Amino acid sequence: MAISEGGLLTDEIRCKVWPKLLSVNTDDLPPLPARKELREDNKDYQQVLLDVRRSLRRFPPGMPDDQREGLQEELIDIILHVLQRNPQLHYYQGYHDIVVTFLLVVGDRLATALVEKLSTHHLRDFMDSTMDNTKHILNYLMPIIDQVNPEVHDFMQSAEVGTIFALSWLITWFGHVLSDFRHVVRLYDFFLACHPLMPIYFAAVIVLHREQEVLDCECDMASVHHLLSQIPQDLPYESLISKAGDLFVQFPPSELAKEAAQAAQAERTAASTFKDFELASVQQRPDTVLRQRFRERLRGEERLRGEERTKSILTKPRTNRFVKLAVMGLTVALGAAALAMVKSALEWAPKFQLQIFP
Amino acid sequence: MAAGGGGGRPPGPDPALEPYVQTRIFKIIVIGDSNVGKTCLTFRFCGGTFPGKTEATIGVDFREKTVEIEGERIKVQVWDTAGQERFRKSMVEHYYRNVHAVVFVYDVTKMSSFTNLKTWIEECNGHAVPPLVPRVLVGNKCDLKDLIQVPSSLALKFADAHNMLLFETSAKDPQESQNVDAIFMCLVCRLKAQRSLPCRDTEGWPAQPQPHSRRLDEASRKGSCPC
Repeated sequence: MAISEGGLLTDEIRCKVWPKLLSVNTDDLPPLPARKELREDNKDYQQVLLDVRRSLRRFPPGMPDDQREGLQEELIDIILHVLQRNPQLHYYQGYHDIVVTFLLVVGDRLATALVEKLSTHHLRDFMDSTMDNTKHILNYLMPIIDQVNPEVHDFMQSAEVGTIFALSWLITWFGHVLSDFRHVVRLYDFFLACHPLMPIYFAAVIVLHREQEVLDCECDMASVHHLLSQIPQDLPYESLISKAGDLFVQFPPSELAKEAAQAAQAERTAASTFKDFELASVQQRPDTVLRQRFRERLRGEERLRGEERTKSILTKPRTNRFVKLAVMGLTVALGAAALAMVKSALEWAPKFQLQIFP
Repeated sequence: MAAGGGGGRPPGPDPALEPYVQTRIFKIIVIGDSNVGKTCLTFRFCGGTFPGKTEATIGVDFREKTVEIEGERIKVQVWDTAGQERFRKSMVEHYYRNVHAVVFVYDVTKMSSFTNLKTWIEECNGHAVPPLVPRVLVGNKCDLKDLIQVPSSLALKFADAHNMLLFETSAKDPQESQNVDAIFMCLVCRLKAQRSLPCRDTEGWPAQPQPHSRRLDEASRKGSCPC
């Protein structure tokens, strides 16, 4: 449902389904601590305050000021509460864009529980003490683009545009850059139901959707960065979601890991920063299961379609249905198990990759 | 997205019609603590207005403006960066490459944003920005007169010690908008002079007396070239 066309449609349904997608028990929500307690001696309070005060655009335009201000205070409380309970998590600018989406859809109490779960899973890498892991996830962007359209990839490489234009997309799940709230929650339905790396596939799909604009652009960092960072507000979300799902199945993270690791090497990102590597290998089982399932399904498709299958899945909408089924089937089959693997991505650790691909 | 207020491409000369005129590009990076007003300053320069609702900058935003100085069209690219420490540590380095000038911004109503300038300077040096790249210091939010925590004398001393020009201004106050322009125009003039005379590239700012004043002189306030 969350992946298929239209997503979860209403906030009422989202209140019921989002907790299930995150395996949060709604009957047993812990009470929120007192506001004063939260704000005293909190190292992140000042930064959170600055960012939340400035986040006026995230609230519906017609909302009365006092109502909005009340919600902003709740937003600060949720963020500080989650940070206080999870000292291993670090606040980043943009985290507030994610939390506000949950607050507006499900209210403060449920939002706290959902955001806490999300922060220790999907968003975990963004909340490390440094942004090295975030940077590494961004390194998946160019290999995905390369698989689908090498010309766009080469153009972007020679422009040296980097991937920072997609940083706010990734770490806010597009909450920071899309002005229509309906589009934001639609994407959240999709991302909540998918692998934590899905937002980077979606970012790639947006770039690929604009391939002509990119190729028509002057081949320099500023022009390409400027073009891509201005995200069009009238994107065909449903077809892009479907394409992102297709790409994930066709080019799963494990297959892109080598290129991503090389990109990291090229940027001289220290492999030693992936301290969670050992932990990752312990936790990797669900991911392995997921990948096996994908491969089984892909093999099934290949049998069905023989040699017909090519790289150009984007130009072959006919094939999309099969692949979408694969994604959906997996999501249903694995459900919350798939969520327990953010840290697990074995293929994210470049050091390890080098051993696999000597 | 907050980016790009005035960042749309201004109508430049048609390259097909003027094949021999190449617009020079100057790349300026704007750095400083969170919430000192970097985004508003760059908006004010590139778009001419003070944006009502800016948000935290995530990563790096880009704006540009084409200016004309002594008959030459120059494209000024302004890279507006995130203030939070975690971004500057690993994300922003790409944007220090080949910069022509650095604008350090602090908030005159917040002493910590001023005292943190030394870490920003270290940061900048750490990214191997050559010493000859001009740097200016901008104290923003001057319109909040009752809340000023950083005295001009202190800022001036700091600017002198680091061979920077100091400007105190307000991106918000419409009266000051020409002063904001002057900051960037001053840099452009400086760069223009520096680039047309490459042999002078051994020094930072020229040794002759500079308008280290908090306000630029009348000529610059009118938006013309202060140099």
